[in-house]
Amino acid sequence: MIADLGAEVIKVEPPGGDLTRRRGPFPEDKADPEKSGIFIYLNANKRGVVADLKRPEGRELLHRLLAGADILIHNVAPGERAAQGLESAALRAAFPKLIIAAISPFGETGPYANWRGYELTLSNAAGWATLSPGASPYPELPPLKCFGSQCEFQGGIHAAMVALAAYMHRLKTGEGQSIDVSEQEAVAAMLEMNFMHWTYAHRETSRLGSRLLGPWFISDTADGKIFALAVEEDQWKRLVELMGNPEWANDELFKDRIARGQNQDALKALMGEWLSQWKTQELYRAAQEKRVPFAPINTMRDLYENEHLAERQFFTTLEQPGIGGVKLPGMPSKYGATPWALRRPAPKLGEHTEEVFCGELGILRERLNELRKAGVA
Amino acid sequence: MANLPISGVRVLDFTWAWAGPFCTMQLAHLGAEVIRVETTARPACVTRLIPPFADDIPGPNRAGYFNQYNQGKKSILLNLTRPESIDIACQLVKHCDIVADNFAAGVMDKLGLGYAKLRTIKPDIIMISMSGYGQTGPFKGFVGYGPPASAASGMFFTTGYEGGEPGEIGVSYPDPNAGIFGAFALMAALTHRALTGEGQYIDQSQFETALALMPEGLLEYELNHREPERHGNHDPVMAPHECYKAAGDDEKWVSIAVGSEEEWRALCRVMGNPGLADDPRFKTAALRKRNEAALDEIITAWTRTRDRWETAKALQEAGVAAFPSMSNKDLAEDPHLNARGYFTMLEHPEVGRRQHAGIPWKMSGTPCEVRSPAPLRGADTEAVLKSLLGMTLDQIEHLRKSGVLI
Repeated sequence: MIADLGAEVIKVEPPGGDLTRRRGPFPEDKADPEKSGIFIYLNANKRGVVADLKRPEGRELLHRLLAGADILIHNVAPGERAAQGLESAALRAAFPKLIIAAISPFGETGPYANWRGYELTLSNAAGWATLSPGASPYPELPPLKCFGSQCEFQGGIHAAMVALAAYMHRLKTGEGQSIDVSEQEAVAAMLEMNFMHWTYAHRETSRLGSRLLGPWFISDTADGKIFALAVEEDQWKRLVELMGNPEWANDELFKDRIARGQNQDALKALMGEWLSQWKTQELYRAAQEKRVPFAPINTMRDLYENEHLAERQFFTTLEQPGIGGVKLPGMPSKYGATPWALRRPAPKLGEHTEEVFCGELGILRERLNELRKAGVA
Repeated sequence: MANLPISGVRVLDFTWAWAGPFCTMQLAHLGAEVIRVETTARPACVTRLIPPFADDIPGPNRAGYFNQYNQGKKSILLNLTRPESIDIACQLVKHCDIVADNFAAGVMDKLGLGYAKLRTIKPDIIMISMSGYGQTGPFKGFVGYGPPASAASGMFFTTGYEGGEPGEIGVSYPDPNAGIFGAFALMAALTHRALTGEGQYIDQSQFETALALMPEGLLEYELNHREPERHGNHDPVMAPHECYKAAGDDEKWVSIAVGSEEEWRALCRVMGNPGLADDPRFKTAALRKRNEAALDEIITAWTRTRDRWETAKALQEAGVAAFPSMSNKDLAEDPHLNARGYFTMLEHPEVGRRQHAGIPWKMSGTPCEVRSPAPLRGADTEAVLKSLLGMTLDQIEHLRKSGVLI
């Protein structure tokens, strides 16, 4: 995100490469560290160097880089930082103007500071999976993780935002500082009314139960699925009109949004027949024309073919060496004065090691060759 | 209190519901003075009107939803259907750095508060509009909420139990996500202004901020022309990777994820079954993934008779990622979150001291803290209009009686 704003970002990888290089998705499912889709998305607009921070020579390279850096961002676990020269207090002392944003599953203090966290366990630790899928009738099915790497992304977005705030402070005062971002805390603060149900009304929340209001469900259409929702009473009235004013809509069971939530099974059965006669995208437009907030259960293909996103030029083609053109999701905020652009592809492993270390930091080529032979760079 | 990262930044906040207030709360956390514009003339501020209310007693100052996401802000009453209110808002903009809204596309223009006008009043103003679909394009007028944005962005299509139907994701996630993206964009715009003196307008789409979080799914299609499959809690590479039933009621589960050989061997040791590590069905990561169903059964047989915390602690001590599925009560009582000072407990004039989720980051040089609880509706109308616009109490009273400051 910070590279996309125009910052010069140098990505430091260990000799084996970033973990995401092994995660894919890969073209034709052939694992190749230079062709991971997620790596490319997350690292376009950056340059890449290799330095093994577990070795003293690698940490020396890091210090040379930090001498010319404004911001250091990493997500090395608190317990592993000392061994990699990434302890915040030591870095603050050595580089008083540096901004250090350190992301970790549980933050760098407290009893779980050294606990491990992957996306799945973070989603449970933050209380999100516990609420999902929501209104479930199946107690035997476990709490459900949302698709993708949402908790990890939130750690990253929060860190990017706070790092820029720290940069604003540095512009005013010249002072650097370190930032401790907890992924568990970031996600726990994003769970709608979850927390307040306990602290305001002493109710424990659950993935089971019924919806607070209705209609609120996923249903089949002639060619796909639609998410049927009406939040306000006036939206429901216009939806009833769109359905051709069926008699059942006047039933006491559906008299207000709360009742429609409680009697959702009956409502879904009655609406289902009408919904199934529509094509998804046509129903979406017809409902929205009446300001009823339906949305399609879009597939990835639907999204790449979406006319609205096309007109807003949301997807942007990156020419990635070894693959060719790859259409990536673009910047979701359009800045009037400082528009975004893809300036360079994601780096190959160590692509800019020589350019940065020799060309910009003045390390002799012979020395770099030694470091490479020793497996440090 | 001046020593906060963006102290001195003033925000005129027209946001409502959740996405927008979540954005401006971040600004308040970081030190900005956020002046929230509300009205009693129509029930625009839905979060003051929906449960849970403190002790189940309804009231606009008692709603947990509002009080959580408006911590640290001020509140003024301005009835925007009145032209006098628009004039007052424009005068306030002169004294502000940021204007934020999350109305449907075009609403601010119709109110007479569009960027083209505001920049004539304050040339370096930064304005962000966080609408459902953005200010341009064929769907710009569509109604957006968080849950439909989850559907539209493919989150429902890709989430769900293995082999099952598309699932919902439990919370209205695209709302706070749009808010946090908005706060990031505003930090970028503030930085640009500090460096160049130039303000700008930011058009942000909730739909697109959700799509920015879908790269694994989108790129599966882009690179292989294939839709991602639904795998419940399973991972494309790692196994075991699931929420396992723990001893106790339907809400007691423990999640376990194993990402390396070392972690796999540690799990088998903690289970008291070190031989399992070399079982021909499970001895490599690829085999564990292939025989995941059998593996899940073996692990469940172990977890289901044990307390979820006992399991999580034993595994974490051995270096394996594990965590119970936390309820809101579990979070409130969690020793780790409490030891870190995550929660705020400020005295609110109507509901007293309540525990709120606080600030999820710590800064060494400019420590952030929530400076005040969510405002009572209109609590700061008088103080703001007096101090920023020099209005007298008589003028304010007159405007209140004539239906402007309501």
